Amino acid sequence: MSDAPRITGWGAASALGVGRERLQGALLSGAIGIAPILRFDTSSFTTHVGAMVAGYESDGRDPTVLCHEFGSLALRDALAHARLDSESLGSLRVALTLGASLFGDQNTENLARSLAKELSIEGPAITVSTACTSSTQAIGFGADLIRGGFADVVLAGGVDVLTPALFAGFHALGVLSEGPCTPFGQQVGTTLGEGAGFLVIERGGLRDATTRALLRGYGLSGDAYHETSPEPRGRGVAAAIRSALDDAGVSETEIGYLNAHGTGTIANDTAEWCAIRSVFGSELGCSIPLSSTKGHLGHAQSAAGVLEVISTLECMGAGLAPTTAGFEGPRPGGPPRPVSAKKPEPLAYELALSTNSAFGGNNCALVFGNAARAPMDADKSRPVFVNTTAALCAGASNVEELASIYESKSAPSDREIRIDLAAELPRVDLRGIDRASELLTAVTFRALAEAGLQLKGEARERTGLMVGALRASPDSVGRFRSSIVERGLTKPDATAFAQLLPSAAQSACAKALNIRGPQSTINIGEGSGLLACAISAWMLAQRRDSDRIVAAAVDVRTEGVAGGALGDAACALVLGTAPTSVEVVGIGVAGPDHLDEAIAQAQRRWGSAKPPELFVDRPKPLEGMPATSSSFALAHAVHSLRQGRARSAMVASKGTTASVAIILASTEVIDDN
Amino acid sequence: MTTDLSDYVASREAILDHVRRILRDTMKLKIEPQAIDPDAPLFGTGLGMDSVDAVELVIQLDTVFGLQLSGSPEAFLKIRSVNTIVDAIMEMTDES
Amino acid sequence: MSREDEYRAIRHSVALSRMDHVGLLRLVGDEVMEAVDAVCSGDLWVRDSRMLQTLILDDRGQPLADVYVCPDNDACFLLVEGITSEELSARLARHVDPDLDAELEDLRPDHELLSVHGPYAWDVLSRWLTPDIIGLPYLSFYRFDRGICFRAGKTGEYGYDLMLRSEDAEEVRGELLELVTSLDGAEVSLETLDLCALENGFFSVRHGSVEGLTPIELQLQWRVSTRKRFPGVAAIEERRARGIGRRLTHFVARDEVKSGDVLRGPEAPVGEVMTAAFSPSVGGVVGTALLDISVAHPGIDEFFASDRDSVSPIRTVSSPMLLNRSLLVDPRRQTYATRDGETDPPLWQGSLP
Repeated sequence: MSDAPRITGWGAASALGVGRERLQGALLSGAIGIAPILRFDTSSFTTHVGAMVAGYESDGRDPTVLCHEFGSLALRDALAHARLDSESLGSLRVALTLGASLFGDQNTENLARSLAKELSIEGPAITVSTACTSSTQAIGFGADLIRGGFADVVLAGGVDVLTPALFAGFHALGVLSEGPCTPFGQQVGTTLGEGAGFLVIERGGLRDATTRALLRGYGLSGDAYHETSPEPRGRGVAAAIRSALDDAGVSETEIGYLNAHGTGTIANDTAEWCAIRSVFGSELGCSIPLSSTKGHLGHAQSAAGVLEVISTLECMGAGLAPTTAGFEGPRPGGPPRPVSAKKPEPLAYELALSTNSAFGGNNCALVFGNAARAPMDADKSRPVFVNTTAALCAGASNVEELASIYESKSAPSDREIRIDLAAELPRVDLRGIDRASELLTAVTFRALAEAGLQLKGEARERTGLMVGALRASPDSVGRFRSSIVERGLTKPDATAFAQLLPSAAQSACAKALNIRGPQSTINIGEGSGLLACAISAWMLAQRRDSDRIVAAAVDVRTEGVAGGALGDAACALVLGTAPTSVEVVGIGVAGPDHLDEAIAQAQRRWGSAKPPELFVDRPKPLEGMPATSSSFALAHAVHSLRQGRARSAMVASKGTTASVAIILASTEVIDDN
Repeated sequence: MTTDLSDYVASREAILDHVRRILRDTMKLKIEPQAIDPDAPLFGTGLGMDSVDAVELVIQLDTVFGLQLSGSPEAFLKIRSVNTIVDAIMEMTDES
Repeated sequence: MSREDEYRAIRHSVALSRMDHVGLLRLVGDEVMEAVDAVCSGDLWVRDSRMLQTLILDDRGQPLADVYVCPDNDACFLLVEGITSEELSARLARHVDPDLDAELEDLRPDHELLSVHGPYAWDVLSRWLTPDIIGLPYLSFYRFDRGICFRAGKTGEYGYDLMLRSEDAEEVRGELLELVTSLDGAEVSLETLDLCALENGFFSVRHGSVEGLTPIELQLQWRVSTRKRFPGVAAIEERRARGIGRRLTHFVARDEVKSGDVLRGPEAPVGEVMTAAFSPSVGGVVGTALLDISVAHPGIDEFFASDRDSVSPIRTVSSPMLLNRSLLVDPRRQTYATRDGETDPPLWQGSLP
């Protein structure tokens, strides 16, 4: 019996059709979903093609409306494939992990909430906003929710929509191909797409369901290199692949097919090919069947990963390997013989590997298929400790000052945070850093520095960064939008565009501090920081790819936007496996209306007969910091334990789309003399 | 200085100053425009501009001076340094 | 090998040279970057496996050394021209906190530096080292079995500096020379490399006197921090506040012009020649001059060099002045063997005065 989560179904809405059956039929016939764009005027651009969802080519409704519709179609499709009706859903613990980045200033947690509500998903709905790796990472976190016992069923995937502004930004960066993209092939550049896809992942033995594949493992990494270009030798991609293989308990020789990110750009394809050869060796690298399905579906951005996994699953089930549509001969620095017939080629394989990479250097790889792991003792869960913490907001530049805010119960009079990051990091190029990146980098640096951690050598690969953030930095968003208003869509501010992601701060921080380990940006609205801590803790406990993860959160004051943050704030906690005086002893994650369940989960995992001595809430004087305030609570809890005020503490947050509870306990033995 | 020479120098210095400001603002440098050497390389080394910075620079030069640059190597030559940009602008103005 | 042949190799195919004039040093320890920061003039915004070009200045702000700073995890390589390892060691002793964990190693006793330059230098390296070399960005380096490959170069063409263990150097030189000559290339002298550097506007610390000159006059402000304290900063701040009286400007001339020649305008002296050399591409002399700040601009024909015997008009120009072949080559599409050089525009598109 394998403990790998089972994939029991999937659903899609893509350029090759709405519904997985349409997608399957189109893939098997070698159809290409790239066509001239009808939805908006592309006459002033140098390229005019895209991969719009079939039937929505001219649909110009609001992007969030389209995202919801695509997501809804794909979710229903997936549930039908898994034969899960609303009754069954109601009796199980069901979660949603949604890859969605949208525009950086759009409300992705609302999208998650509305999809969850529509599908009667009562469990946590977690949004992952890391651009092109969003849905791949969402699938990975979905596996974690199952493996960790936080959910029985997870609908994991992503959605995205191709908007004029997105098209304009990529166009300005010069990465779009003139005609339909030919990954690894003659024409250079990518073609943008859109769509939605979801996998149904569930725990075995729950119900009578057909296991269509096993989700064996995943790996994350960060390039820590550049805002838009991948590290040229594919160092980060290779790290993510190795981490996924390791998580799956599989050697690279067991992979029967590789679905590459393969966007078609020189930068991506070259780096990725270097990575593949570095992991598989030159010989195996050249012979392993590999392809990129972006020739069929375009680059569906936040939905790319899941649609590519689904494409592979559809073909795998039919004994085929997906083909690289449009490929007509290799280019120098690329694989010589990707799978490239007009239609998928017959291939029997047990295990597949799928990789994706994103702006800012996030990389994610998944291993899935029909080979079960040989029975073995599961890796024991490692204890996780809190090392140092750093907090920043108006009126508090460290945790002691934060404690004063808690004690005084009144809002600080000083509304401004003043930091001189250049003075703290004299040898880091901070030109052009936006506000969110600056705040996040400051707290992360301070927390690592206080822990005496200089990230050199292997420590860079074994240190991760998990960030709770709702939006891109408003200054970057503002600059981008102004540039379009003032200069038109053909002349956007390319630098601002590159920073338009909710994950831009995470990437900038990772680059500044050389953090190359597992990293991501997640969003549950209110409480995101606490979830980042929970994810960090469960990753350190269950996985072996990092020794410490900085769990952080950042909010930037957004003037005049409903639901925007009211003040700048950032917080970082260094979690690790090296023992300290404060241990993370219990974690609970549940739906937004089930805080009690999250608390009960945490209490159960702790295994103590008594409740925690201290309950720390968000600092009431600090309003309007949705991502960070729950992190502040946790940092304050750590501080309280270290001050000897209690021997255990809980922070619980009823977030916008998920409830989270974390229990901490002092590890110091009290000398009763 | 002859009048011709002083006129030439004056035009050049005006454009030089303007281009330096554009570069300073594009790169978000916290320096005075005069701190940008006229012959300093803009890409690779020197100011260390990358391909993303280049996008903005090209837009600015078009918007402010009407200088239109294609993606060809010959066009890239015109933006290797501040002086080469000024040369291109003055040449364009001479032609018109 | 004539100067012309050496020049053609660098500018049109590929050249090999020994770089005995470059000091090879390494600092090892937990605080090497702090130590380097304390003696160099530039902001050290450089990541692991990348290279940054900066300067070491004396207390009067005059350039003493031209340095590539190359961080490598717990160490930092320094490729240095202009001062010896002993002199660098003395400067570190003088300016760096003795408690900092940073120890200097001179690598020269056991290492050689061999370089490959030219529009097809990558072609040689892709065969000798790895085809992936075409993906190695400018100003970055990586380790291979026999040493370290730094992608830099001061000619304006592709350039790769190979730091090798001395015992491997002769063998490597032989292997590279064979590949280089198979591409119609040649071994070249430092003089020819320096000519190419001059043509492409690379500062040379080994040529021309920098007496009384700071990076501001020398157009090297890009290598100087406006934020940190370093040896020479006071002199630079003072010069900045006062304003410079002259600036380095590039020029071409038809006739013989040499270092030290006075440059005059129609009404008065305007400066003097710093360096000059004959350029086959220009068909005349290329050089650098220190001109009065009021006229230190390219595109001026009114000046001339004079000595007792002759008067040679000069034309000031922008730098870099050549349409380097390396800009036209696409390593992904063509090799030296499949090149089509017939349609290339001339290296120099200007005219002599």
